[in-house]
Parts: sequence; structure tokens; C-alpha cells
Amino acid sequence: MIEVKNLTKRYPGRVAVDDISFSVGQGEIVGFLGPNGAGKTTTMRILTGYLPATGGDVRIAGFDVTEQSLAVRRSVGYLPESCPLYPDMRVREYLHYRARLKGLRGKEKQNRVREVTELCGLGEVRRRIIGHLSKGYRQRVGIADALVHRPALLILDEPTIGLDPNQIREIRVMIKELARRHTILLSTHILPEVEVTCERVLILSEGKIVASDTPENLAEIVSGSIRVVAEIKGLRSDIVAACEALPRVNSVSDQAQGAWVRVEVEGQLGTDLRLNLFEAVLEHGWKLRELRTVSTSLEDVFGALTAGGRDPGK
Amino acid sequence: MGTFFTLWRRELAAYFLSPIAYVVTIFFLLIMGFNFFLLVDLMSRERVTIPGVMEQLFASAPFFWPTFMIVVPLLTMRMFAEEYRSGTIETLMTAPVTDRVVVLAKYAGALTLFVCMWAATIPYPFILEAFSEEAAPLDIGPVLGGYIGTFLLGMFWLSVGMFCSAFTRNQVVAAVACFSLIGISFTFGQVHYIATDDLLKAVSAYVSPLLHQRDFVRGVVDSRPVVLYVSGTFFMLSMTLRMLEARRW
Repeated sequence: MIEVKNLTKRYPGRVAVDDISFSVGQGEIVGFLGPNGAGKTTTMRILTGYLPATGGDVRIAGFDVTEQSLAVRRSVGYLPESCPLYPDMRVREYLHYRARLKGLRGKEKQNRVREVTELCGLGEVRRRIIGHLSKGYRQRVGIADALVHRPALLILDEPTIGLDPNQIREIRVMIKELARRHTILLSTHILPEVEVTCERVLILSEGKIVASDTPENLAEIVSGSIRVVAEIKGLRSDIVAACEALPRVNSVSDQAQGAWVRVEVEGQLGTDLRLNLFEAVLEHGWKLRELRTVSTSLEDVFGALTAGGRDPGK
Repeated sequence: MGTFFTLWRRELAAYFLSPIAYVVTIFFLLIMGFNFFLLVDLMSRERVTIPGVMEQLFASAPFFWPTFMIVVPLLTMRMFAEEYRSGTIETLMTAPVTDRVVVLAKYAGALTLFVCMWAATIPYPFILEAFSEEAAPLDIGPVLGGYIGTFLLGMFWLSVGMFCSAFTRNQVVAAVACFSLIGISFTFGQVHYIATDDLLKAVSAYVSPLLHQRDFVRGVVDSRPVVLYVSGTFFMLSMTLRMLEARRW
């Protein structure tokens, strides 16, 4: 759906996007992650045809963004950062205007506006003036606009910025819903967001892509290991010995919790120690009350990848 | 073509959704009404011919030029500046419309409102004729000429105003820049009265809106000012287009 090759964007005295290449397949939901100023918005603006690139090749749904800009714009639904709308228009009026602008006419326009109004939960406010709406509703109007012409690709720049926790959750649920029918590229600098919503993450730092993988894999790559925590009832020294005897184990730490022993086993990449541990428990006739892998949080990954733990919320 | 009308309608609606259209129109009609009153007053005291009437309404009336020069920036200042400021330029320019259609539709919106404002003054000459004691029928030439001249000049100045709006996100800056540009060009058009240098005199007279308007209200539609204003408008429209592209680099 998106093919980016050697994309570069230079401003006088500054390189905003530095020779990046990536691709996003049909139906994927990809998160663009990076500190402010990493080049997320610039990249998205180039993808939507708003900004011209300095160099490189960008194709969306098979169309070149500079040569076939109109075709690209027809296949992309874009929600810019800060969600700009005309505050003096009514919600329904605005959606009709945008639908017409995007080439929908007559019955089809009526139907689509009704569908997105319903989908984005705007039914109650459709007669209200946009300027009087809360930030959360405005964000929904922006998303409804992005969706109205049935674009194959949705590009959402910071869709949850400035919303309260409830609104964030609602928007996330909505994005998950949308992912069934659209390819989605969304940007954020809020880490849990990507962990919750995205199948794949592209981490951008200083105009370069520093990582591209699933959130889970990224965590493993960075920590270089997998950790499993178990709480077992048995003789502490036996348990530790058994854990150390498991294949490809790096280290074991243990801690008594009343009659239970809490062990944390660190194994090499590509192993699943949970099964081995469970078998060990069965073999010795111990009791087990907890068994789980501990994932490195994306926050750690982010810190490690974007140059020496720079403050991601900056 | 469909998107052109969509944008044009939105542009016109934007004037009426904000107080701008109402305030400007009321201001304009008050002054035009005042000028009309002065004219009636004048005619009750001395004989005025029809060309004289039109010249009074379209060129020499008190406040005619200042009003014209204030109305234009007020109509054009928000065109692009407001879209830049609110960020809606981004949703607009990523919709499947070309820059050219956006520029033309916005321009057409401002021009439409401008024409509507002037249309409200169309009854004036007819009222005068109806209540005038002189039996001579109204000569349509000067009336038409007056409106053609006003339309051409308005067309050109609105394009200047749109250009000014395209290079800033601040509406006040856009309005002041437009007012300055048309004010300076108008003043330059007066230079021929005092210039001694022949070339300067000729250039100044060629671009003088006041001289053109005096011709038009006598019913003379000279091709030279028509060419000047039409080409000037095209030039400003294409400059606006360039500015719109340049701002995104």
C-alpha cells in the first residue's frame, strides 16, 4: 500500500527526513513512533502529497505521490496533527462539504456521510457548530472526514493528542475497528498507544528509521533476551537448580514469598522457557501459581534506540 | 468543475458565517447611500448632466476611493491567511483538488460578494432619472461604463488582496499589505499631475485608476485599461498560485 524508497526531505540548514525506506502492506496497522522533531509529521505530509520531497520515491496504492498526486489523494484519508477544522461550520455541513470536495455526489454522498457520522459516534452532535464541540468530538469529526471517501489508506497524525484518558480509549477502539477495512499508518509519541493498537512499529529518530518490527519483537531485540517469571511452591534450592538446568538459560534470580518461591529466569532469544519450566514443575511434583513472560516495555526500546535515552515525552 | 463550485460555495458561505460580509456590506452601503444623498442634494441646486451624475457616483464622490480601498482588503484578508492560521490549508490541499482550482474558487467567491455589493447600487441612476425634472432619458452608456470600470478595478485589486493573503498567516498583515499596495499604486496614478519627466508622466497616466474611471463614466470603454486590469489580474492570480506552492517547500 505504501512504498517509500530513499525518501529525503531537506529544509535550509536541516535534514528533516534522511534517506528512509519502508513499506506498508495492505491491511496492516503501523505505528510511527519517535520524539517530536524526528520527522514523523514531515514524512506523513509527503505521503499525503502536501509537501514535496527533496529526493526519493514514494508510491501509494501504486500511484506516485508527485506525478499522480490527485489519485494518491483520492486513496488517502488524512487526519493532520492538531485536527484542523472550520470552527464556524456545523458538523453535518462540514462532512457534506468535504464529501463533495472528495468527489462524492448525490445519493452516495448522503449515504457515506450518514455512515461515517454513525461510525464515529457523531449522531448526537451532527447539527452542532464545530467550534462548540469538545476536543474529543472534534477529533472524531476529523476522522469522519478522513474516512468519508472510503480511502484504502488512513494516515492519522497524532490522533489521540490532547484527549483525556476516556477519549483516548474511545479513539483507540475506533482505530481498531477501522483496521478491519483500512490500512492504517498512525503516528504518536505516546508509547502505550502503539503497544495497544499497532501490529508493527517504525521508530524514527532524527529523520532516520532506527527500527521496524512488531512491538514484542522490538522489545526482545533490544533486551537481547526473554524473561520468564514463575511462582512455585517447593524447596528453594531445588527449584533454582532445576531452573538453571533448563536449556539456553542465561541467569536465574530467586526470592522467597512466604511458602512460595518467585524465580525469574532469563533465557536466550527464540526460546520459550514457560513450557520447560512447567514440565520441570510437573516432574518434581511442585505447585505452580504463576507463570508468565515479562516483556521489555516499548519505553525501554524507545530509549535505547533514540540516542541515549532522550526524554521521549519532550 | 464540481469541486470548483463546492469550494466557491464554501468560500461565499465563510463570508456569511463570520461577521465580515455583514459589516463590510453595511459600511459600504452606508457610504454609497450618503454619496447618493449628496448627489441628490447637488442636483436640487444646479444642473447636472447624466455623465456628470455617473462621475459623481463612481469617481469623484467623497469617500468613493477610500471606501473602495478599504472594502477590498477586508474582503480578501482572510482568504488564505485564515486557512494557514487554523491549519485547514492542510486538509484543503490534501483533498483531491488542484491548487489552481483552489485559487480560482476562492477568488471567484470574493469577486461574487464584491459584485453583489455593487449590484445594490444599480437602482441609484434609475431613481435619479425617475425623479429628475429633465425629460432626457437615461443614457445607458455611462452607467454601463461606470459599472464595467468598477468591476475591472475591483477584479484587479481583489487579486492583489488575495496574493497578500497567500503570503501570511496573519489577517491584519494581509489587509495592511493589500491596502498599502493598492494605495501606493493609486497614488502613483496621481503622479502625472505633478511629474515633469515625460516617461514618468505617461506611465503614471497609463496606470491611473482615477483617469480610467473618468473615461469609463463618460461611457468610453478604452481597451488599454481593460488589458491592464485583465492581465494584472492574471498575473496576481498566478503569483498567488506560486506563493501557495512556495509556502509548502
